[in-house]
Amino acid sequence: MRFRRGRTALSVLAIATTGVLVAGCSGGGGGDPSGSAGGGESGELTFVYLGDADQQKAFNALFAEFNKKNPDIKLKAQGIPAGNWADYSNTVATRLAGGQTIDIIQVATEGQRLFASKGVLEDLGPYIAQDQQLVDDYWADISPKLKQFNEEFASGPNGEVLFIPGGFNTMVMYLNRSVFEAAGVEIPADGNWTWEEYLAAGHQIKDKTGAYIQAAGSGYFIDAMPWLTTNGASTFNADWTVPTFNTPAAVASAEMARQLVAEGLSPEPGGQFDVEAAYKQGKLASLTGGRWPNIGIRNLDMVDETVIVNWPTKVANGSPVGWDAWNIAKNSKNKETAWTFIKFLMSKEAGEYFASIGGTIVPARESVAASSFFLDNAPEGSIRLSEAMDYATPIPSIDRGAEAQKVIEEAWLTIISGQGDAKSTLDAAQAKLESLVANK
Amino acid sequence: MAGWLFVSPATLLFLIFIAGPFVFAIGLALFKWDLLTDPEFVGFDNFVKLFSDPLLPRVLGNTFIFAFASIVTHIVLGLLLAIAVNRVISRSLSYFLRVAIFFPFLISWAAVSLLWKYVLDPTFGFVAQYAGMIGIDTPNFFTDPAWALPAIIFIDLWHTLGFTFIIMLAGLQTVPTDLIEVARTDGANAWQVFWRVTLPLMSPTMFFAVIITFIGAFQIFDPIQIITKGGPQNSTTTIVMYLWEKGFQAFQMGYAAAVAILVFLIVMGVTLLQFWGRRRWVYEA
Repeated sequence: MRFRRGRTALSVLAIATTGVLVAGCSGGGGGDPSGSAGGGESGELTFVYLGDADQQKAFNALFAEFNKKNPDIKLKAQGIPAGNWADYSNTVATRLAGGQTIDIIQVATEGQRLFASKGVLEDLGPYIAQDQQLVDDYWADISPKLKQFNEEFASGPNGEVLFIPGGFNTMVMYLNRSVFEAAGVEIPADGNWTWEEYLAAGHQIKDKTGAYIQAAGSGYFIDAMPWLTTNGASTFNADWTVPTFNTPAAVASAEMARQLVAEGLSPEPGGQFDVEAAYKQGKLASLTGGRWPNIGIRNLDMVDETVIVNWPTKVANGSPVGWDAWNIAKNSKNKETAWTFIKFLMSKEAGEYFASIGGTIVPARESVAASSFFLDNAPEGSIRLSEAMDYATPIPSIDRGAEAQKVIEEAWLTIISGQGDAKSTLDAAQAKLESLVANK
Repeated sequence: MAGWLFVSPATLLFLIFIAGPFVFAIGLALFKWDLLTDPEFVGFDNFVKLFSDPLLPRVLGNTFIFAFASIVTHIVLGLLLAIAVNRVISRSLSYFLRVAIFFPFLISWAAVSLLWKYVLDPTFGFVAQYAGMIGIDTPNFFTDPAWALPAIIFIDLWHTLGFTFIIMLAGLQTVPTDLIEVARTDGANAWQVFWRVTLPLMSPTMFFAVIITFIGAFQIFDPIQIITKGGPQNSTTTIVMYLWEKGFQAFQMGYAAAVAILVFLIVMGVTLLQFWGRRRWVYEA
């Protein structure tokens, strides 16, 4: 389904490095902290990122903005269309192993720890020190949680800063106003509702309009984690050292997801259908996602017809969060130039521009996320995407993340398709996750 | 000298794309390598690990089931279609049928897989929709472990039957018609002509088709990677899918190379067995 792209746990992180050398704001950059020669305002950079055709248009526009200010830096950007971050990382890793030189690699949460542990990334400390004021301005404008998560989950073995966090995504619901109105279901004004209210809404919508309330799937980030976190559960504990996939709360979450399918409120999973078309035709009452569905919503001309609310809760608000990050590879030959690009990406101007042209992430800068650049031409309630950071749980991404993701998604699919009961299926998955953690 | 020059392009391609990687894989199977750090020599550890993997029997079982089903369906249906089309007198109709049957083979696996994901969607797919209209409850083909592999077998058949059909049609058209006429003159009925004359003379073509079909089917990957990712519950995990998972998901390139060596040995072994067995059923003129 086109809308069901976005973040999924990904453990392979092929090279995250590519340094972007930030030189712009410091007026020339002075010497390269790492000792490499050359200034940071010229050169050629190869940059890979996760993006399909729609997303590539937005990225290309951003790169063109960068080139206006840095005409001597040739940016060769390659969008890799992948269904999830695991596939993206695999592709990047394979390209790197095959000898392709990549200067900048967009790295998602799912792979940051893996790369941090491999000793292939440059300590950004000297670069940060060189442009301390610029970086401090950035830290002051991003969510303290994002900075905390970056330090906690993506630092080097000795606490060195290896990544600069970029934008992020949380999970919300995009509701089709027409369908809700036709069914006589009130959309929660404060954006909050409970599991029970959601089920009731689903039944009423199905009875009155025939529409399904949402599509059911087994994506780690987009399907499993929202139900888990809204019931106080998760796949792993807070520091990702112990799997917690079969707790009573996790079982209850899986049973809730199954209930939607069993009671006919969600289409049966397993095949493929045009989610956008179904949403437009009123056959689907909601879409789920982070910021990325917004591109499709705009293409469907349904911005005014859509409102964003939080994921229904059982014990408290919950959402997974995953964030992009930028770094410099130790063996990059374009570190200064790469840092220039990173500085651009950190800038408020880049954040505003990317948000306004239809970026697929929530801007890291809170000032941008609360501005018209992000909120205009977007459904009412879009601010909830950034507000969710206050209660979000970082998507657990252990070193063997791709394998863990497969275990989690297979188990979730088994449950929601009715092929296995939640308790025994999650027990089996828990055992496999424990094995992955034990055998790094 | 001229001869060597003529074969040099093919030889070069063979060395670069087949022999070279093959030798590299043998070497790689003796190492532990995650693509990101330096490889570490581990000797035969990857092979020991492979043969003690509890998932291996299931994976090989899925692969052999797929290959066997593929061979039977391709040969039987390919032959029947070839016989039927060969009997069509109208030339234009014959051309149309050949194109129509062969056409799916020209479509990429990605497009075929996506197409069938839409067609077999349990809610919006037209198979479920039309079956529902006549009161038939279709299974969830891609999430039910009992149906996932048969669904993949069917999709593969739809996609590649045209190739087997063309081979069978070509073989059928090499059967001398005078032998068939002589048999009919001697009183043989249609079945006897088919069983005693046509089929034996077609046996070399069928032997070729069996070899090719097995080699291709044993290495099935594309539709599984796109549609089921080896699930549900490993019911569609075949040996090449398993190899991909170990190499590009788990980043155990040495282990994946060991799996690749196993694939090679099995395919070579079965092929040699088929060549040894040909004397029992392949008619050599």
